[in-house]
Amino acid sequence: MSRRSLLFAASAFGLMTLQTPAQADVAPDALVEPVAEYKLYVLDNLDQFVSHTEKFTQAVEHGHLQRAQALYAPTRVYYERIEPIAELFADLDASIDAREDDYENGVEDPDFTGFHRLEYGLFKERTTQGFTSYAKRLMTDVNDLESRVQGLTFPPAKVVGGAAALMEEVAATKVSGEEDRYSHTDLWDFQGNVDGSQKIFELFKPLVAEEDPAFVQRVEKNFAAVEATLAHYRREADNPEAGFVSYEKVSQADRRAFVGPVTVLAEDLSTLRGKLGL
Amino acid sequence: MSDQSDNTSRCPFALDRRRFLQGLGAAGAAAGLSGSAWATSPPETDNAHDVTSAPISTTTQQSHPFHGRHQQGILTPRPATGMVVACDVLAWDRAGLERLLRTLTERIAFLTQGGTYPERDPSYPPADSGILGPTIAPDALTVTVSLGASLFDERFGLTSAKPKHLQRMTGFPNDALDPTRCHGDLSLQICANTHDTIIHALRDIIKHTPGLLMVRWKQEGTVPVVPPSHDTPTPSARNYLGFRDGTANPSTDDDDLMNALVWSGTDPGEPDWTHGGSYQVVRIIRNFVERWDRAPLGEQEAIFGRRKDSGAPLSGGSEYDAPDYANDADGKITPLDAHIRLANPRTPGFEKHRILRRPFNYSNGVEANGQLDMGLLFIVYQADLEAGFITVQNRLNGEPLEEYIKPVGGGYFFTLPGAVDDRDFLGRPLLKATATGI
Ligand code: HEM
Repeated sequence: MSRRSLLFAASAFGLMTLQTPAQADVAPDALVEPVAEYKLYVLDNLDQFVSHTEKFTQAVEHGHLQRAQALYAPTRVYYERIEPIAELFADLDASIDAREDDYENGVEDPDFTGFHRLEYGLFKERTTQGFTSYAKRLMTDVNDLESRVQGLTFPPAKVVGGAAALMEEVAATKVSGEEDRYSHTDLWDFQGNVDGSQKIFELFKPLVAEEDPAFVQRVEKNFAAVEATLAHYRREADNPEAGFVSYEKVSQADRRAFVGPVTVLAEDLSTLRGKLGL
Repeated sequence: MSDQSDNTSRCPFALDRRRFLQGLGAAGAAAGLSGSAWATSPPETDNAHDVTSAPISTTTQQSHPFHGRHQQGILTPRPATGMVVACDVLAWDRAGLERLLRTLTERIAFLTQGGTYPERDPSYPPADSGILGPTIAPDALTVTVSLGASLFDERFGLTSAKPKHLQRMTGFPNDALDPTRCHGDLSLQICANTHDTIIHALRDIIKHTPGLLMVRWKQEGTVPVVPPSHDTPTPSARNYLGFRDGTANPSTDDDDLMNALVWSGTDPGEPDWTHGGSYQVVRIIRNFVERWDRAPLGEQEAIFGRRKDSGAPLSGGSEYDAPDYANDADGKITPLDAHIRLANPRTPGFEKHRILRRPFNYSNGVEANGQLDMGLLFIVYQADLEAGFITVQNRLNGEPLEEYIKPVGGGYFFTLPGAVDDRDFLGRPLLKATATGI
């Protein structure tokens, strides 16, 4: 795809200004329903996350390298969607999703576990040998996460703030290709974060739409721009399941083209809590 | 010339470089910034004895007028800190580019004059980073906006209006350019009396330009403050090789000279919109300081052609005396390959190759070999990039100084003419000149 068309896709963003924003008059109980719906969304994704992790870790334990490689990215998507909630459990977030940079001794660090530890084995060392214990641990942690989330009362400010937090994730680690540096499946995670952010926005949109229609329009436009850009990198145009091409195939110029709408979304969505009086 | 006075009439202190430095020296003393000579008289304030008492500065109210035919930050006396930030422009059409230029203009006008940010409901992100508090002082801030050659590609329909000499910087023989620290669509040179002021300005600009601007690289630097000197002219500040730097710069008080050497406007080959602008060259030049500190003083002085302690030319006199090459044709006193002699042989006709240097010292961290990563954030302005930096650098290629330096980054940019009043914005003449060009 040409640079031009990508920039076009990526660049419907833009009208934002930093004027003192309007605050919607939102009654606290108006938040109850969207928060409850969001919890359903999270539990549904967790359900999928558990069953995908089962298949993924089984593949590792049974020594099916290619299968494990193929299941790596599609499994993570569910986690990436619900990160604002998953991250509330810092211990599990570390053992499930930490990256080698989080440890002074990098890959060799005995505390380094989870997806990215397995990623290193599967994609860098190209083996499942010796990874059974990491697979088992991951499964335990993911099950633990599910049961903890079930018992959790969702704090509305965390839920609403999650829309922006997910875009911050994209801006900080996805655009640079740091997240999945061995598998280069960053675009899957990217899509997961965007899905999760968009879901939150959609749920709370009715509460701000009347007060600030321009805001809603701008956010929708920028989500559409990001989606359109991502769509250029799908393996099969009509089949989301087929996922994305390697992040290595995304040129420097195109990576930069993501930054625009992602940053505007992060800026805009950072006002969502304020608009809802949270 | 009146252009110049337009630009400075509201400046609370004269633009005279030496007098300015004296002022800064006083500020440095009051702030206790450095130097044992005046560290004995700490500032008198009620709580100055507390370990976390804020350092005091008496120069936070200094300001440079934003509006004028030329941007600030070129002839403006260098304050103690500066930074170059090279950016990529993310706007994808002319409307986006115009919005970017208007936003930059509006932010710079505010930041350089100071003022109070609006208060926000606490459930919103605050209007700015807050690192200088709700009311910011100008602190001699300048932000200078320049455009790189890449901005004149097909994106914005500016191709036909590219300044005549603007081009992508190419490596010189001694360069080891790091691609992550080179080039850019747009550069911001941000300078102020104190470091936090330039960081605040950068963060304000980033916050106001999401989706329009993306930082590509940045390099910060400093200028050592000097104590005020009373009768003699203030000596130039030193660079990290310990030499006085800036001595032989063309005089910024000389309007005719500035029009000839710095400001675009005399070359009929340049597009009209460039008039009042200037070519900016930025080079990040690493200095091998450990090795330099082990070089004999005599060699150091021969390399530059100046005395290290006083800055005087090897041919004698004091710092601001002209070196005598006429009576030294063989280079017995000032070697023919001395930095200053190559950079300016002072022969008839060479005047047009003089450039206005405005460098900062930088110190970044440590290399893998344990040596310090520091050097010169070399910034120069000139009316003609070819006659200026490129000619001079080609003359310097192979100079003995190269053993101790390594250019690793930078870029060529064109500094926009100033915004003349509050209805104008930076880059308006360029957009106007190309309005039907797309
Ligand atoms: C780390 C790199 C450099 C260092 C440490 C350095 C240092 C110095 C010093 C100490 C002086 C004498 C004092 C003065 O007149 O300011 C000087 C002069 C000068 N330098 Fe450099 N310089 C460096 C790079 C460059 C480069 C890259 C250029 C241009 C391509 C340049 C152009 C000049 C010029 C034009 C003069 C004035 C010569 C004169 O008119 O007498 N310098 N430099």
